[in-house]
Amino acid sequence: MKKRILALVLALCMVFALAACSNGNNNDNANKGTNNQQNTNTANVINIGAIGCLTGAASTYGVSVANGIKLAVDEINNAGGIDVAGTKYTIALTQKDDQGDPTECLNAFNELTGNGIELIIGSVISSCSSAITSPANTAGVVMITPTSTADAVTTTSDYVFRSCYADSNQGAIAAAYAAQQGYTKVGVVYCAADTYSKGLYDSFSAACAANNVEIVVAESTDTMEANDFSNQFQSVIDSGVDFVFAPYYYGTVGPYLVPSARRAGYTGIIMGADGYDGVLGCISEGTEEYFYDVIFTNHYDSADTSDVVKNFVTAYGAAYNNEVPTAFAALAYDATYMMVQAITKAGAFDAASVKAALDDQTVVYTGVTGTFSLDATGTPNKGAAIIEFTNDGTSVTTQLRDTVSIG
Amino acid sequence: MSAFLTALFTGLRLGSIYALVALGYTMVYGIIKLINFAHGDFIMVGGYSLFFVVPIVQRMGMPGWLAVIVAVVICSVIGMATELIAYRPVRKKGTNMTALITAISVSLVLENLAQAIPAMGPNPRVVNSIFGNEGISIAGASLSYVTIITIVVSAVVMVLLFTFTQKSKTGRAMRAVSEDKQAATLMGINVNRTIITTFGIGAGLAGVAALMYLAQYPSVTNTMGSTLGLYAFIAAVLGGIGSLPGAMLGGFVIGIVYSFSSAYISSSLASAFVFLILIIVLLVKPTGILGKNVGEKV
Repeated sequence: MKKRILALVLALCMVFALAACSNGNNNDNANKGTNNQQNTNTANVINIGAIGCLTGAASTYGVSVANGIKLAVDEINNAGGIDVAGTKYTIALTQKDDQGDPTECLNAFNELTGNGIELIIGSVISSCSSAITSPANTAGVVMITPTSTADAVTTTSDYVFRSCYADSNQGAIAAAYAAQQGYTKVGVVYCAADTYSKGLYDSFSAACAANNVEIVVAESTDTMEANDFSNQFQSVIDSGVDFVFAPYYYGTVGPYLVPSARRAGYTGIIMGADGYDGVLGCISEGTEEYFYDVIFTNHYDSADTSDVVKNFVTAYGAAYNNEVPTAFAALAYDATYMMVQAITKAGAFDAASVKAALDDQTVVYTGVTGTFSLDATGTPNKGAAIIEFTNDGTSVTTQLRDTVSIG
Repeated sequence: MSAFLTALFTGLRLGSIYALVALGYTMVYGIIKLINFAHGDFIMVGGYSLFFVVPIVQRMGMPGWLAVIVAVVICSVIGMATELIAYRPVRKKGTNMTALITAISVSLVLENLAQAIPAMGPNPRVVNSIFGNEGISIAGASLSYVTIITIVVSAVVMVLLFTFTQKSKTGRAMRAVSEDKQAATLMGINVNRTIITTFGIGAGLAGVAALMYLAQYPSVTNTMGSTLGLYAFIAAVLGGIGSLPGAMLGGFVIGIVYSFSSAYISSSLASAFVFLILIIVLLVKPTGILGKNVGEKV
């Protein structure tokens, strides 16, 4: 009897362990929504719709995106509007909330298109955007998502574009940065069982091969929540590399990975991707000294001193209570200007003409998040800001270390 | 050599934590034959207590580890409350199996409760460094003092518990209740009080385990107890559940197997090896390494 109970208990344990492993690592990508206003005026208005999660769990992202779009639209309208084939048009924006829910997103999409809107900026998170890519294609509606980074968002639909880079690009940027800094031998510590980590490792290793960078050591952990990296970094040290790519989320990086690596005696660079955004809130007091040469790729840096970023940060702060714009707001702002640039180039604002303009891979877009052109799928071919953690012994801060462009 | 030493030290570090947690499992099991699945979540409770109390204690200029006193008290109260509210009513009516299922539900209730309280929530909370970052370095491999302290604490706790259950009056009452509740009642032992004391001590151990865990892995989440508890439970079973030295041995075996398989075989398969070891040991010696072979009463 006792043994049977034990067997059952063990079986239960395994089930629970598996359930624990499946904890979603949802990387919330912001969906951008366009605000399309019904134009009751004359022909001098262009209707643009926006969809995003203005409420719900990812609302921080959605609100940033909505603010970014609104700022761009106001700037354009205040400057007199868009010049389309010699006539000035103003933009009428209609914003819809998808609550971060794919079904709601589709409802919002149908409502906008039902009102005759053909140009949409949105949605914010990847799962929502994925729900409307195929309807956008079928209905012939141009859609630019500012922040949905999942690779598949733009690959299947001709009418879908975006202003952010795709997940697979981040690995390539990290590899390009390693090459640019003169590292020819690098190491990787990743989780083979996780889509995010494995995906970044794959794109990193492919790009390393292209950049003549050799991955001499690749260590993995069995979960994304691993708490001890001593063995992994010991073999990194033994192989003599000074650059490690470690794609994990901030909850692991802050308390476990970096202290573990430094305690094992590793003193080189630890590089990650956008999952490191948030590490600042996860550093154990007393371990600040370990945070040096820890860097990650991000879409942009609000402390960037280039004019375009400075102007954007100032304008955004003036419009929204001195808030510092996040990368989400910056990407939304850029997406709006992409749409406008395409309309100007097309000299028309029907969906087919705008799509044709966006399809042109030679057009260069200059935005807050970089200067880029679109590839065949409609994803920007652009670099990233490399953000660095530094410490003064008692506190850790972030700063821009470098920018990397590829392609 | 340094790789070997690092793997060994990492194994000892993990093992010392598992051993400390396994002591709590095995202690409660030894007395009332209940696998207390909520034990891992008592550690979570201890973890959050430390998260709130350590900064206060440090601000008062005292060493952070003194916060463990508060954590132990809170854990004990929660443990005793669990016994009163959940286990005792079920034990009166049901079987071992119902008690076991109750333990699992208590675990889920505690986890979700922690998630619902805004000050805790689903995001990881990071605890201040408790014992500092110093350590010794041997042949290029570093062994932090925290690891050594944890091993010493586990050993001391084990010896204390062993002496307590063998020598003290309450300890002897616990063993009597464990052997035969009815006979114990007839001998004038207050069974319910003995059981609630057992839970108080078992949960208090979770407070100590939380301190040692957070000293090395300083992040608290509401689900931290589930994986930790699972490994510790395996350690207890491996060593022979009910046996205090067994729990300690089991903890170190699990930690070292995990660390060496991740260093020398494959880190992705490290947990698979832990389960494999468990299966092999249970096939060869079903009662665990140090478990006593007692005839089953059916």
